Amino acid sequence: MKTDITGIPERRKKRNIKKTILTIIKYIVVITGAICMVLPFFWLISSSLMTSQELMADTPRWFPEVPQWNNYVEVPKRVPILKYYKNSLITAGIATLLVLITSSLSGYAFAKIKFKGRKFVFRFVLSTMMFPVFIFLIPNYYLMKQLGWLTNYMSLIIPFAVSGYGIFLIRQFVMSIPDELLDSARIDGAGEMRIYMKIVLPILKPAMATLATLTFIGLWNSFLWPLIITSSVQDLMTLPVGVSRLSVAFSTSENQHLILAGLVYQVVPMVILFLYLQKNYIKGFVLSGFGNL
Amino acid sequence: MRKGLRKRNLVGYGFIAPALIFYAVFFGFPVVFSLLVSTRRWNMLVPFEEARFYGFRHFEYLLKNELFMRALLNTCLYAIITVFVTISLSLIFATLINKSKFSVLWRFLYFTPIVTPPVAIGTIWNYLYKPNNGVFNHILGSVGIDPVYWLTDPNTVLFAVMITAIWGGIGSSMLIFTAGIQNIPQAYYDAAKIDGAGPFRQFWNITIPMLKPTILFLTATGMIGAWQVFDLPFIMGKNAPAKSIMTVSGYVYESAFQSMRMGRASAGAFILFIVIFIVTIFILRAFRKGGMSGYED
Repeated sequence: MKTDITGIPERRKKRNIKKTILTIIKYIVVITGAICMVLPFFWLISSSLMTSQELMADTPRWFPEVPQWNNYVEVPKRVPILKYYKNSLITAGIATLLVLITSSLSGYAFAKIKFKGRKFVFRFVLSTMMFPVFIFLIPNYYLMKQLGWLTNYMSLIIPFAVSGYGIFLIRQFVMSIPDELLDSARIDGAGEMRIYMKIVLPILKPAMATLATLTFIGLWNSFLWPLIITSSVQDLMTLPVGVSRLSVAFSTSENQHLILAGLVYQVVPMVILFLYLQKNYIKGFVLSGFGNL
Repeated sequence: MRKGLRKRNLVGYGFIAPALIFYAVFFGFPVVFSLLVSTRRWNMLVPFEEARFYGFRHFEYLLKNELFMRALLNTCLYAIITVFVTISLSLIFATLINKSKFSVLWRFLYFTPIVTPPVAIGTIWNYLYKPNNGVFNHILGSVGIDPVYWLTDPNTVLFAVMITAIWGGIGSSMLIFTAGIQNIPQAYYDAAKIDGAGPFRQFWNITIPMLKPTILFLTATGMIGAWQVFDLPFIMGKNAPAKSIMTVSGYVYESAFQSMRMGRASAGAFILFIVIFIVTIFILRAFRKGGMSGYED
């Protein structure tokens, strides 16, 4: 075998060069991708600090001359953005709590209680996920109207209290709990409810955290149903609906920069919360068996 | 023993009772009611009982209606392209950042659009796509390309929305792929390395086969979601000719809540359901042929 003065076989050296080049290419791709992902956010934050003249200038600018922090003060004065926050928090929060309760109850039963017809019922639950929301819009709107819920939070909470996805996720997770653990509790005379509360729920914590985050984000971002419900009742307007109306509230060109400041109110708090939760979020995904679906 | 069985059934159904009641009210009732509505002419202003029976003429109308058929075609293109590109890109990037330095930073940057509502994403991109002073045309202009009328040109608007959708959708698929990749035993890669397999072979022969269930999951849920896309075209397509950006869901929304034609809207929703049903079955079949079993057990 040929070796040069460094004493490293030529073939291995070649492989090392190839490896280095591949690593460089990899980082170029990763960094380019990251720039593409960040650019719109960077643009949003930078532009939300501009004057309307800067924003409407013929050549787009990347930075404001002087950051107009006042834009952020101006927005809550003109649109009830705090009320949108409150509405979104209350509805998404309560609905998430309900999803956690219903998903863990059903998920546990489907995974560990061998009742008659459970396979059939579970398949039914899975198949409900295939139905487009559009089939439910008109009947549920009608239902809300008949129940008199159109003017209160119920219309934004109750239709989201159960999630087929949540039941599926929790069931997958509960399946991995060994039967022996539950059986030994059963022999000790514990009822299913006690087993669920004392054994299953504590083990489910990471999966529940994942499900909670997923559900909350989904509801926090949801648009269509709140748009339909709140078109007549502005008091219930959630953040995404409010944000979608910013362009109506600030339609004139001297107000364009306030649309962007309003968007920052929608985007930034969730991003910060996500930054904080990120690690748990991913761990929850790995633990809840998402990898081995 | 008999008694024990009956008790077990009772307990089981007790646990799922909240979900079952919910499904009866918010699934069973709507499906039946929706079917009934689709055979009536109804504007929701009069009681439903007074609505005129209309047979299957709504379905007939829609299948002959140019705008609705165009909406089906647009949605089909949108679903296939966005799901395919999103899954491919997110699989590649999830693999790349998994063992990179600063992986926490990369993850944060790539995952951020997950928590940004499509409404906000659409509004931001509306500005980036602006024809005169938008960022994209500015960048294109600096390399000598004429401005593109992204959101008003009927030939580009659908693709412009797709690019935005892919940008917004990569994060959540990457997240799920990341979880999947972390569950692949490292020993497989070590063994492949000893056999002299490079990174590309490892990706092709280990990562992809091991992630098949995840890919199936993302393809199926992605398709079901993409066929129902509403938010982005609604926010971004306001200045384009209706035909070029109309989606099935947009059509249903407009028929129901702007023209108050509940019958026609319900018929449209059912056609959408049939399409999604067929597509899902087709995907499950395709994967089963590739050696994938279902989720039931």
